[in-house]
Amino acid sequence: MPTITFATEDLYKLIGQKLDDKKLLQLLDCAKAELDAKLTTEATVKYNDTNQPYLWSVEGLARLFRNLLGKKSPQIKIEKPKEEVYYDKRLAKIRPYIACFTATGKKIDDYLLKQLIQLQEKLAENYGRKRQKISIGVYPLKNIAFPISYRAASPDETFTPLDFHQQMSLKQVLEKHPKGKEYGHLIKNQNAYPVFSDARKNILSLIPVINSEQTGKMTIGDDALLFDTTGTDEESVNLVANIFAYALAERGFTIQALNVCYPNKKVATPTMTGKKVKFDEKEIEKLLGIKLKPNEIKTALTRMGYEYQNGNVTIPCYRDDIMHQVDIIEDVAIAYGYDKFTALPQTAYTVGSTFPIQQFIDTQREQWIGLGYQEIMSPVLSNKENMYNKMNLTDTGTIEIENPVSLTFSCIRTWILPILLDFLSKNKHVDYPQKIFEQGVITKRETEAIDEQHIAGVTAHSTATFTEIRQAAEAALKSSNITYTFEELDMECFVPGRAAKIMVNGKQAGFIGEFHPAVLEKFGITTPVAGCEINLTALKP
Amino acid sequence: MDIKKLAQSLHPYERRVLPELAQHPYLADLAATTGLQEVEAMRALQWLENKKAVVIETAPQELVELDKNGQEYLKKGLPEKRFLAILLEKEIPLSRLAEKTGLTREEVNICVGLLRQKSAIILLQNKELIIKITDQGRRLLQNGFLEEKFLKKEFPLDIIELKPEEKQALEQLRKRKQIIKIDIKRIKKAILTDVGKKLISLGVRDEEFVDAITPQILRTGEWKNKTFRRYDVTINVPSISSGKKQAYRAFLDWVRKKFVGLGFQEMQGPLVETEFWNMDALYMPQFHSARDIHDAYYIKEPKYGKLDDKLVKKIQAAHENGDNTGSTGWRYQFDPERTHRHVLRTQGTACSARMLASKDLAIPGKYFGITRVFRHDVIDATHLPDFNQTEGIVIQEGLTFRHLVGLLKMFAKEFADTEEIRIVPGYFPFTEPSAELYAKHPQLGWIELGGAGIFRPEVVTPLLGKNISVCAWGLGIDRIGMFKLGLKDIRELFSQDLNFLRNTPVI
Repeated sequence: MPTITFATEDLYKLIGQKLDDKKLLQLLDCAKAELDAKLTTEATVKYNDTNQPYLWSVEGLARLFRNLLGKKSPQIKIEKPKEEVYYDKRLAKIRPYIACFTATGKKIDDYLLKQLIQLQEKLAENYGRKRQKISIGVYPLKNIAFPISYRAASPDETFTPLDFHQQMSLKQVLEKHPKGKEYGHLIKNQNAYPVFSDARKNILSLIPVINSEQTGKMTIGDDALLFDTTGTDEESVNLVANIFAYALAERGFTIQALNVCYPNKKVATPTMTGKKVKFDEKEIEKLLGIKLKPNEIKTALTRMGYEYQNGNVTIPCYRDDIMHQVDIIEDVAIAYGYDKFTALPQTAYTVGSTFPIQQFIDTQREQWIGLGYQEIMSPVLSNKENMYNKMNLTDTGTIEIENPVSLTFSCIRTWILPILLDFLSKNKHVDYPQKIFEQGVITKRETEAIDEQHIAGVTAHSTATFTEIRQAAEAALKSSNITYTFEELDMECFVPGRAAKIMVNGKQAGFIGEFHPAVLEKFGITTPVAGCEINLTALKP
Repeated sequence: MDIKKLAQSLHPYERRVLPELAQHPYLADLAATTGLQEVEAMRALQWLENKKAVVIETAPQELVELDKNGQEYLKKGLPEKRFLAILLEKEIPLSRLAEKTGLTREEVNICVGLLRQKSAIILLQNKELIIKITDQGRRLLQNGFLEEKFLKKEFPLDIIELKPEEKQALEQLRKRKQIIKIDIKRIKKAILTDVGKKLISLGVRDEEFVDAITPQILRTGEWKNKTFRRYDVTINVPSISSGKKQAYRAFLDWVRKKFVGLGFQEMQGPLVETEFWNMDALYMPQFHSARDIHDAYYIKEPKYGKLDDKLVKKIQAAHENGDNTGSTGWRYQFDPERTHRHVLRTQGTACSARMLASKDLAIPGKYFGITRVFRHDVIDATHLPDFNQTEGIVIQEGLTFRHLVGLLKMFAKEFADTEEIRIVPGYFPFTEPSAELYAKHPQLGWIELGGAGIFRPEVVTPLLGKNISVCAWGLGIDRIGMFKLGLKDIRELFSQDLNFLRNTPVI
């Protein structure tokens, strides 16, 4: 979730009015955002919708709030391009898309510089997927000579990267510079690296890695900026350029477009054109259940930054999260106010039910409870040490996690008895007899993963035996009218000759036994334990 | 309680102990006299004390015990006695005393000293020093030594209870080596109160009472002329643990029952899920940050699951270009291999997606699931690696956002006991419009109760073949559960502490 921080006063200045806390929170709701820390002179805002990068700056947020409050936003004007950026066609296979412009006429102060860097980082890291899809460069214009080239450079070309004092080859930058180490993998495998260079052949930046120390270092007091965004997705590159141009224009900068000169065409960037889509007003009532008059619809859409005329909606050029008419309708609902929607009751008659095995599961749980067993509930995730090693068994098919957070939770349990023994080992100080059971899902790995509902119980006290647990298991099974027989079972976790298979309809449905002292020893248990585990899925009547 | 009722409530032990108390106030003594074990006698005293019939005191007691030599002398007789007995036959020269009596030199010296003191012997100077018994000595032999009588008493002896001449004997023996030892013990002593004395004066006898009602008593009818012993029903009894539901599981049972009562049908799905059902079918683009390696658990083997190719193609098209859903799609190249990749289910909504594509789906229909889901989180007071999600869908032609509001209001009332709710814009990749539900819980105040929305056409159309309104919701039911169970730490939902489980009430 992206989070941004800005001066609270700055937001109010951009909106053109102060807001009380309640109003601010209400507006933040509309941005699907919330305060991430107590509001002071500084505001920290967290966004729950990751698809709205146009709100990740105080300027973007202010524009939305102004619209929602019904205030007029300043018209954003872009000056026609005068200068040019040459495009090297070899980049088509490396990092094909670029948009750039200049912003002039305002002095950068410390706060504004921080805000620009914040927006740059959020866009490149979150939206730009750590600069892979999008990266952004900002340069002071003063040392740059037009025309500029966006070209593929040999890894042996040299420049001085930011915060370094000697010239290095581009290749060396990837190896030695901290940013090179962080982002170098994005271009390392290419024969040539994308660079931005000016008419004096100075490299302004190695894209998407690092600016030059000489020409790419922003300082307080700068009042003319060059801005570029490059990437692998054309729409996203243009979107980010538009978002940045809007943010700077809101601050009073004059935005001047630049012509990107492709071999066969010239394109002025930023594009600043919003997509026009057809909009069917009737869909509002179908989806929202409210009837709005045409002027109400227009007002709602305007408040969310859209233009609306004759059934055509123009999506703001800084948004790319509108994929379907329903997205626009949600914005209508937000502008209308979620709190204004009155509830309608359910009208369909439906019959409630649990899934079929649930009744049987609950009956079996009740039996064990009636037998005096305390129910427990554990995480489904466990580990092979408990499942097998401590039980003196070998793995016969387990779903293991490729990227566990901890080894304690690195596989799905394949049976429940080890979990009960582990539980007993944590409760040795508690009064005996200890009788516990757990009912829940387990997963086995065969050719596919197979979920089963199991129930398992153990009895632990100084005279716990096979007979006692068998009595319990039989009582539970009989209650569900299940016919069973017992057959001898060799299973290393049990004492030889004191374990049995529970056979139902000729198939094994569970097992039962006295735990082997060697197993109890591994769990650190010094009280005799007998246990049973039954596969309820196999028994479902 | 009046004295008669009190008498009727005496336990057989108490009745055995009570009459003996005047003579035998000390516990050990009392036990010996009544033939009870010491613990039994003590229990009887405690019960009597509860009834205010006795006061139990703990007093220091000096107990006399026989030491090593004392025990030996008890068997063989005191050395001075044996010495004197030999002298009775003949006089013996002092130099040959040890040889003739079989005593050690040291014993001989003591004997000579002692017996002279008692005027039982005299020393005669002949050629050598000769020892001879006196008349006093003869009488002594005849009457017996005081000290020897003392040794023959039953030990241990309470010093306080000794007669003057016994005390004298004790004093003598104490001076000598390892005959007597004195232990100081803290002993229990019961003193009768007025109530106790009255009880005794009532003269309650065992045979007048029925204690345990046994089959034999019932068969023979011997209870008919007797009184039933009354119990003290107010005293504590040893506690036992009942078998019962785990409290959180009981809460989930309650939730399940609620949904069934509201007309919802339960749905389920596998723990090991393909990315297809877990994410792609829910219109989460494959580049979505929630699909990062740090957010979902990926399965080692089997790496990939089986899917219906036709369905995969439809979802692929919805992602890439919107297909026939009226959407632009996410506009990226969908990876059909990745969609088969196995993960541990991260959201219960996967079950809703399966339900939409199921031939068992009923329209109109209401579905819910209480599903185990997994998150790639470090465990702490608010995060578990696996936990339960409660969510579901309502599908019906013509449902609108206002129906969704109605649904959420109903949930708030049923699960959080409130009609005060706040619905604010939210975001989920699979719903539009999306909403967050806040409810003003009577005790907790405003809480985030869940998220909801209307499924996007990009979700419904490929799975169902047409676009029908589907209200989808998920409730943060654990929050309510923790409140109801009085828990602060989410780990306690899966508590591994047996005492805690035994003592937590089931709601």
